[in-house]
Amino acid sequence: MKIVTSVLKSLVLVTALFSFSLTAAFAQSAEEGEKLYNANCTSCHAINEKVVGPALKNVHTKRKEAWLIKWIKNSQALVKSGDAEAVAVYKENNESVMTSFENLSDNEIKSIIAYIKKESEAPAQAAVVPTGTSSTDASATANPTSEVSDTLKTSINWLIIIILVLLVMVIVLVLDILGKVGEIQGKKVINWNGINAKLMLAFGAIGIVASAWEIWEHGKLTVFNQTPASTHGAEYDNMFMITLIITGIVFFITQGLLFWYAYKYKHSSKRRALFYPDNHKIELIWTVIPAIVLTILVVRGLKTWTDMTGEKDPSSRVIEVYGFQFAWNARYAGEDNLLGKHDFRQIGVINALGVDTNDVKAQDDIITNELHLAVGEPVMLKFRAKDVIHSAYLPHFRVQMNVVPGLPTQFGFTPSLTTAEMRQQLNDPKFDYAILCNKICGSAHYRMKMKVVVHTKEEFKKWLAQQPRLVNKSTPAAQATAQVETSTETKAAN
Amino acid sequence: MSTHTAHTDGAHHDAHDHGHHHETFISKYVFSMDHKMIAKQFLITGIIMGVIGMSMSLIFRLQLAYPDMKFPFLESIIGQWGKDGKLDPNFYLALITIHGTIMVFYVLTAGLSGTFSNLLIPLQVGARDMASPFMNMLSYWFFFLSSVVLLSSLFVDGGPASAGWTVYPPLSALPKAIPGSGTGMTLWLVAIILFIASSLLGGINYITTVLNMRTKGMKMTRLPLTIWAFLITAVLGLLSFPVLLGAGLLLIFDRSFGTSFYLNEIVAELAGGIERVGGSPVLYQHLFWFLGHPEVYIILLPALGITSEVIATNSRKPIFGYRAMIGSILAIAFLSFIVWGHHMFVTGMNPFLGSVFMLGTLIIAVPSAVKTFNYMATLWKGNLQLTPAMMFAIGLVSFFISGGLTGIYLGNAALDINLHDTYFVVAHFHLVMGSAAIFGMMSGIYHWYPKMFGRMMNNTLGYLHFWLTLISAYCVFFPMHFMGLAGVPRRYYANTAYDQFDVFIDMNQFVTIAAIVGGAAQILFLVNFFGSIYRGKRAPQNPWHSNTLEWTAPVEHIHGNWPGDIPYVYRWPYDYSKPGAELDYIPQNVPDSDQNDPLDEPKAVHFDLKNTTLPLVETKEA
Repeated sequence: MKIVTSVLKSLVLVTALFSFSLTAAFAQSAEEGEKLYNANCTSCHAINEKVVGPALKNVHTKRKEAWLIKWIKNSQALVKSGDAEAVAVYKENNESVMTSFENLSDNEIKSIIAYIKKESEAPAQAAVVPTGTSSTDASATANPTSEVSDTLKTSINWLIIIILVLLVMVIVLVLDILGKVGEIQGKKVINWNGINAKLMLAFGAIGIVASAWEIWEHGKLTVFNQTPASTHGAEYDNMFMITLIITGIVFFITQGLLFWYAYKYKHSSKRRALFYPDNHKIELIWTVIPAIVLTILVVRGLKTWTDMTGEKDPSSRVIEVYGFQFAWNARYAGEDNLLGKHDFRQIGVINALGVDTNDVKAQDDIITNELHLAVGEPVMLKFRAKDVIHSAYLPHFRVQMNVVPGLPTQFGFTPSLTTAEMRQQLNDPKFDYAILCNKICGSAHYRMKMKVVVHTKEEFKKWLAQQPRLVNKSTPAAQATAQVETSTETKAAN
Repeated sequence: MSTHTAHTDGAHHDAHDHGHHHETFISKYVFSMDHKMIAKQFLITGIIMGVIGMSMSLIFRLQLAYPDMKFPFLESIIGQWGKDGKLDPNFYLALITIHGTIMVFYVLTAGLSGTFSNLLIPLQVGARDMASPFMNMLSYWFFFLSSVVLLSSLFVDGGPASAGWTVYPPLSALPKAIPGSGTGMTLWLVAIILFIASSLLGGINYITTVLNMRTKGMKMTRLPLTIWAFLITAVLGLLSFPVLLGAGLLLIFDRSFGTSFYLNEIVAELAGGIERVGGSPVLYQHLFWFLGHPEVYIILLPALGITSEVIATNSRKPIFGYRAMIGSILAIAFLSFIVWGHHMFVTGMNPFLGSVFMLGTLIIAVPSAVKTFNYMATLWKGNLQLTPAMMFAIGLVSFFISGGLTGIYLGNAALDINLHDTYFVVAHFHLVMGSAAIFGMMSGIYHWYPKMFGRMMNNTLGYLHFWLTLISAYCVFFPMHFMGLAGVPRRYYANTAYDQFDVFIDMNQFVTIAAIVGGAAQILFLVNFFGSIYRGKRAPQNPWHSNTLEWTAPVEHIHGNWPGDIPYVYRWPYDYSKPGAELDYIPQNVPDSDQNDPLDEPKAVHFDLKNTTLPLVETKEA
């Protein structure tokens, strides 16, 4: 963050010094604001609609800039100070606490506001042109016609429900009357025993066909229908398939027999049930067979588990994944492949992640808002959380690990498919890998994600070289102008 | 037989002394110490909680199916949390939390175990009442108080607890992290502590009664499987609930007194002005799941016990492998204490520890498989009376199979990595512990309703209730597996932030509609249940021609259960369709001709697998 701050500061400085026109400065600032907005705000806010937090449209006219800066940096302090406006906003949003952004400078906040202003003033465009960012809600881009058809569809659904309820009531009434008639006549009008037995058979048969259909049809929507994006994924999927086949066979046989018996042995007054309380041999057989099958699954499972969690290539690239309410950051260990020290007390004070900039190991660290990986290159993700437990879930890579405050965790793996290859496989040019938060962490839990990009090795090198180091010996101003050349610069430094 | 005259006639029996107290409305219906009345109190409170818990699920199912739509009626139900007809994301989390808490603890622990342990233990072992009727009454009132506290948390500032039913800290410990972690969370913890008190008071009573108050001849090997299940359930609760109490107390300390048992590296600003270092959030998870996993069986075993009894009675066959059934209950109970770590495979625990937990977890599948096969062997060549109770029991077996098999995926540490906390888990436990246990409970209600209220429930409504519930439960939970396999996380307010989940929009709507149908089907049950109390046909003494002792007691409830002496027991409870016997059932209190001492065994019957032709004997109706 610090580096972004200095870049921004320098930009402002440079533009002022060379006296560009004010509009240009504004445009520049809005552009920077857009980046900051996307990195910090979108997990809880949208311009035109309420998400977790309120819609931000025209917020610059509703509140004073100074107030906004205070609020964004620490809304709770403002509420505590008794500021009437702050208390009102807090109450209005059901006392949901907004994340504090003390690491954002005044200028950065101003540029975010500039971006919001720009977006607020172009509402007509925003409504017509679908926004490119993937994080915007579907409803924001939905056009009026689809909304109408949606409501229509829902009202039809409701209609179906009402009809069903009425139907059930009618059926109950009719059956009840028939039952009473039967009682009066002294014989059963409806043979429930036979009907229920037939229904059991029908349920069993339809159920088996329906579940087979669903496994086939909806199985295609799952990640197991895709080539896994990591090398251990193949072994994982293998284990999954073995389990699926074994449990599938057991499922169909036992469910089939259960409902078949329910039909076959329905009550008849002409026969007696078979008195057959015990048989040790049978009992032994169906203890031993499941035990053997499970042994196979356990042995195979243990192998998969140790392969996935066991010792990893020590040369793996070390990347810290840092989770907080409600976003992620990645920190690359840099050339030395060692992460610098961090201190939770310094989070948001020296930089967003509380990384000690005096530590030599930290100086070449790189902090980003996206996780970029190189195909075929082993990585070791080290997880750290700021506030509550999160969970880094990368379903396409068959990777998940909890991100626990004060408890370091890690997961090592090797990506095996680039984003481009996965897009091709899924036939979806917009597809992106992501880290999803998979441990309940608060109101915007469902929007807490980080884009993951898998490059070819060359692309990755190029990308990494473009990223600013945490501490750079060159001056901020020079760095801003020479940002493109950072790669050569660092090479020279080494 | 008129039980009232029998009652007064029996006045000289010592055991009837307490029957003489003048009963006021309060002592009979409110602060009752009679186990049958307490059972009804548990059941009706459980049903009310169940209706609340299920209604909550319907509200959040609407949100999941139609994340972009507004439902103006929400505002009139939940007020500020549903402004403009949009469910608040914080309140969504509150709803799933309270739904889970209510269903797991209040409906399926207290409502199920509390009801049937209370009703059946004294009646089936042949006792006048529980060992301590007073503690039994306290058990209910602690439960009632606990329910009131939990429900009151719905109305406090910031809303009820919202950290998921497992309330993992730091989310549950830091009020700044989520509004529900303020007063709402405090009330949640108070409610759970009261609940634990209730559960322990009940549990000690159940164990004591089963071990010490069996009638003459009721050996442990003659106990109905219901009693075995309730006994083991009580032991599980007694050993595991205190651990949750400890976990809860430490969480209270962390929340209110500035300690750091579960907190590490939390800055002062987030944690009420005191920096927290040195604790571990994972410690809470260990303590919680040390209860949490046995809790699954605290829920499931009574349902399985009820199913054993209902299936045997209505198949008119002895339960197959009685001793194997007891053995598997014991094995499951033992194993349930050493597998809690399978809820924590991705917390970063030592992989070796993960291997141990995985081994234990998958072994549970063996006794579970034995139970399933024994149920099916009991059905085999039976003469099935498809009563609503019997059909719900068959439904339980079906859910137990479906949900049990997906447990083999989740118990596998390796596979859990990609399935943990996804909809696959939601599908799994709603089938194996949600639906199965609810079906067990329903089976029990339909089966013992005549015992509880002296009247019969309406069968037609019962059949419809069963079919609608069975179909909708499968329609709700089966498709969820596939969302989980595609990586859709649970506890998401909406899936709109991920384009890749758009393929499930239709499925989500289908699931919600199925849930609404399933919810509506429960109205049939409520009408049937409450209507039959007043309008049901009067029940005969033994409507299902069952062998167990509760059916030898008079229909009308009296203090002390039996008007005369407590019946002696001469045989196990499963002599159905015994060759040579005139009727197709022989109640436990009926001796064989040469059986003078209840402790003697009745005549054995020779049976072998070759003799599998069904005897064509006209069954005489009793």
